[in-house]
Amino acid sequence: MSNRRQSVRDRVALGIARRYRRERNFRLLGLAAVLVGLSFLAFFFLTLIGNGYTAFLQTHIRLDVELSASLIDPDGELDPQTIGRANYQGLIQNALRARFPEVASRNELRELFALVSPGAAFELRDSVLGNPDLIGETMDLWLVADDDVDMLIKGHIDRSAEESQRRISDPQLAWIEALEADGRIERQFNHRFFTAGDSRDPEMSGIRSAITGSFLMLLVTLALSFPLGVATAIYLEEFAPKNRWTDLIEVNINNLAAVPSIVFGLLGLALFINLFGLPRSAPLVGGLVLTLMTLPVVIIAGRAALMSVPPSIREAALGVGASKMQMILHHVMPLALPGMLTGTIIGMARALGESAPLLMIGMVAFIVDVPESPLDPATALPVQVYLWADSPERAFVERTSAAILVLLAFLLAMNAAAILLRKRFERNW
Amino acid sequence: MNRRFAWFSACVCFLGTVSLIQLTQAQAVRDYISIVGSSTVYPFSTVVAERFGRTTAFKTPKIESTGSGGGFKLFCSGVGVQSPDITNSSRRVSQSEIDECARNGVREVVEVKIGYDGIVLANVKGAPSYELTREHIFLALAKNVPDSGGNSLVPNPYRSWAEIDPALPDMSIEVLGPPPTSGTRDAFVELVMEVGCEAFPAIESLADDARTAACHTLREDGAFIEAGENDNLIVQKLEANPTALGIFGYSFLDQNQDKVQGSFIDGVAPLFESIADGSYPVSRPLYSYVKTTHVGEIPGIEEFLAELTSDAAWGDFGYLTDRGLIPLPESERQMVLNAVQGLENVNLAQ
Amino acid sequence: MPSSTVLAVLLAMTLLAFVLGRRRSLARSGARFHSLPTYYGSYVAIWCAFPALAVFCLWQLAEPGFIRSQVIASLPAEVLALPEAELGLLYNDIRNLVEGNFVTAEPSEEVVAAAARYESLSRISDLGLALTVLLLGTATLGWAFRRVNPAFRARNRVEKTMQRLLMVASTVAIFTTIGIFFSVLFEAFRFFQQVSPLEFMFGLSWSPQTAIRPDQIGSSGAFGAVPLFAGTLLISGIAMVVAVPVGLMSAIYLSEYANRRVRAVAKPMLEVLAGIPTVVYGYFAALTVGPLLRQFGEGFGLDVSSESALGAGLVMGIMIIPFVSSLSDDVINAVPQELRDGSFGLGATRSETIRKVVLPAALPGIVSSVLLAASRAIGETMIVVMAAGLAANLTANPFEAVTTVTVQIVTLLVGDQEFDSAKTLAAFALGLLLFLTTLLLNIVALGVVRRYREQYE
Repeated sequence: MSNRRQSVRDRVALGIARRYRRERNFRLLGLAAVLVGLSFLAFFFLTLIGNGYTAFLQTHIRLDVELSASLIDPDGELDPQTIGRANYQGLIQNALRARFPEVASRNELRELFALVSPGAAFELRDSVLGNPDLIGETMDLWLVADDDVDMLIKGHIDRSAEESQRRISDPQLAWIEALEADGRIERQFNHRFFTAGDSRDPEMSGIRSAITGSFLMLLVTLALSFPLGVATAIYLEEFAPKNRWTDLIEVNINNLAAVPSIVFGLLGLALFINLFGLPRSAPLVGGLVLTLMTLPVVIIAGRAALMSVPPSIREAALGVGASKMQMILHHVMPLALPGMLTGTIIGMARALGESAPLLMIGMVAFIVDVPESPLDPATALPVQVYLWADSPERAFVERTSAAILVLLAFLLAMNAAAILLRKRFERNW
Repeated sequence: MNRRFAWFSACVCFLGTVSLIQLTQAQAVRDYISIVGSSTVYPFSTVVAERFGRTTAFKTPKIESTGSGGGFKLFCSGVGVQSPDITNSSRRVSQSEIDECARNGVREVVEVKIGYDGIVLANVKGAPSYELTREHIFLALAKNVPDSGGNSLVPNPYRSWAEIDPALPDMSIEVLGPPPTSGTRDAFVELVMEVGCEAFPAIESLADDARTAACHTLREDGAFIEAGENDNLIVQKLEANPTALGIFGYSFLDQNQDKVQGSFIDGVAPLFESIADGSYPVSRPLYSYVKTTHVGEIPGIEEFLAELTSDAAWGDFGYLTDRGLIPLPESERQMVLNAVQGLENVNLAQ
Repeated sequence: MPSSTVLAVLLAMTLLAFVLGRRRSLARSGARFHSLPTYYGSYVAIWCAFPALAVFCLWQLAEPGFIRSQVIASLPAEVLALPEAELGLLYNDIRNLVEGNFVTAEPSEEVVAAAARYESLSRISDLGLALTVLLLGTATLGWAFRRVNPAFRARNRVEKTMQRLLMVASTVAIFTTIGIFFSVLFEAFRFFQQVSPLEFMFGLSWSPQTAIRPDQIGSSGAFGAVPLFAGTLLISGIAMVVAVPVGLMSAIYLSEYANRRVRAVAKPMLEVLAGIPTVVYGYFAALTVGPLLRQFGEGFGLDVSSESALGAGLVMGIMIIPFVSSLSDDVINAVPQELRDGSFGLGATRSETIRKVVLPAALPGIVSSVLLAASRAIGETMIVVMAAGLAANLTANPFEAVTTVTVQIVTLLVGDQEFDSAKTLAAFALGLLLFLTTLLLNIVALGVVRRYREQYE
């Protein structure tokens, strides 16, 4: 008898080294899996930051611009209309000519004037309109450089390349180098990227209208999908009788999670725009479509979370006399909430990064003005990324990466909020 | 915890209700121009819209990139604030679309031909450059080609450019191009493949239907790769793959001169000047269509058209040419201008 | 009073109603009330808010049409003779004037008059709305308040209402499905008039090279959807091969091995992977992974297409890792600790416990998370648009280029062809077929999951 017991123990002892080795391997495998995921994430971020960080800087050229009263406000009445109509482009061109007096031929002048962005004139106009006292003075101004100049300064255009193979001509290069030697070219923080709407001049473009559009859309989506999703999950998991009708709903929901997002766009087009007569390109419609798209994700996660609350909790609550609704709201829900939040966050993250359904409801659009209400025309951040990625201008490449970085920053912020929430409520059985 | 949760969900529910009510309140009031249509015209149309928004008191028009077909569908859906005022197209409007428009009450439409867009075949710098004829391209890309005797059609046997013409580089045929739903593809087939196939008696002798099918069908065995509409992506794929050629719009070649080189077609290089004077054979016109009934009702349409047809925009040195649009000849510009100012109805017979 | 103010006042009234109802049940402390004070508060609040909100919504719904008909009726007869669509434009003009927006021409007299009428009407309507809603709210509040007495079963009423609300919420999913079905049905039907459904469903060749204009004579056009579905399966299959092991092992590691700090950081970091815009993944797949695989293949003498299914599938797999890992992690975490303790007590190592005890217990949840990930892979569009190309090859070779249903839907919908051509309509038919296919798959999956579902305690 004791002999036999000995042998079992021996067998166990013999196996132990192998089992521990397996244990270690399993653990390493898990760690490797996490590291694979994280290293891809790190890789994406590093690539994006590498491509995109330069977009947060913008090349400026310092010029002495004479705001001559005779050109801006000949009557001296400070009438905003007259001031607004003045030829600011001309003022900047005069400043360039004053800096390079040797340039005379028409074609050369065209090239010289192309160094400064066409948007600089509009900014000059706005600052003069905002402060008419400036008229008559000579200002030492940092003006936005054209995108080609910007690309050259940032090294995306090769200076040593043949003239025919770059968008900066030899004389332009000479002028730029002269300005550089003067310390009149500088890279400054690109505030326009955050304060301007879309623009076809890369140096004037920004993401503010797209961010506002995305924000309005997510607001609608969150306000609708979270309560609806949680309510549906509770009903299906706790109240619904198990019959064909609820089977139908369940299959339905799983199916909706698999429907490609562009089909939701078709639904949005048919339902909200054609039937309800809501305007195209409105964040409200976008939010509604994204709600329908996110809802299954929230419901499925919500049900899984409810399912994972142990029956003992329910039975204990019912046992001390709670009604079914009280049991759910007071005891089950708090325990299921972290899981529900996880689902909602994943759903919202998907909604934030989604562009395909927005195609059908008119949100793939050129929007300069910042939307003020959920009914104004708007676009979304991922759509802006998509549009910029499709633009011919080289300078949009870095802006695309920068816009993605901003999108990811929002995502990280959302997730950070979720961590805090989850940390407070998570429980291990 | 549970009470806080109850309050939280109550607030969220309330927000939801408010949003729903906002929905029912949605009323169509519009004080901006709405433009839809082709993604090829989009880069040009948006530049005009931005200038227009900056220099006038009107709001900046909203421009959607929907594709030409989708644009016409929206445009022809009716008159009124819900429907767009202008649609852009990379091809001319078809009679069936005009009919559809008329059925929905859109009877008067002004056609604005805004310029030309060159279509180029390009590969990465550093790889050998190609001097092609349209017959070469036809032989390389058609699904069925005349056999060596020149008699019957056989499935395209060519795998390398040198097999077509020993003067061409000995590189495998690999061309990235637009899908069959694209106007660029349509123009390419009409301007290159159709002309290219005329040189072969075996095809010329076929009946009409069979001949068109032979001329228009591109091969599907991997030598022609449908690469989607994103021309930037094609340029980048060319960089990653030195053997491949890509078909895309001239403006992308213009912006990426340091990365890709355009192939000669029929002895002409794709340059701004050669496309403008018509010696480069592959270019197609771009259009905008304007709803006459909306002019004067939606604020700013007349002014927008004036900006679009101003010399500063579409002229020989206008800002649109900086973006790669090839301007119309002076005389044609004048004709279009007259049609726009007189709000003349589109006439497909012209 | 603008409608938002009305709503704000109504909200305040609802809060007041809650407090009043609760107070009333507390104030009579001698009596033994059927329900807790909160339920009386909620009961009064519900009665205060819901009827008023319903009226508010109906009013808002009816107001624009009413004002419009009134304003248009007041216009001169010659204007009324205009067709409906132009009246609509004129009405837009009037409203632009009212809103102080930029109006094109100098407004005519009747437009100015109509605008004035519009303004006065909407002022009256707003006032009427505010009065009605607030009076109704007060009245129902008072009525419900008076019903608060010890014998009144407030809890049952409130819970019944809540349960009904929950049920209504669950029907939204049904309506969405019905909506999707009908929004693609008609166009799909028109497509099937041009192309036979049998050819569409079982055809082995997809090549929509028909003419995009009617004045061209069509070249070859084949609308067989099988290669598209095969391509979809191939790419999502590759994605699942990447995502399921990595996701599941991550979930196991994070929930069973990692300490709280690592877990609190790593889990949300992994979730970020799901949030990266798919456009970015698309670029990555097309420009980095595709060429890399091609070079790699050349090294082994394989012919790898630069638009290979493998590249798109791998990258898509990375994208859906969090769908597997995050939800599985939650489920594994929810397996009762007693099960683990029991297993440890018998001398099992951690990994044995996980494989033999925890995973079987968590299996239904894991399966549903995998299904969710698979759904996402099937419905994914942008990655495949950029990385997998559009060539519809019927092949199981992962090194060749394939296309997917979603890619074709997008390409067909945004194309330049005529909008009533078979090509555009094919997108709707594809949408319908995809919808029905996934429905079938889900019905099967539901049966399977239900059979193996167990609840541990």
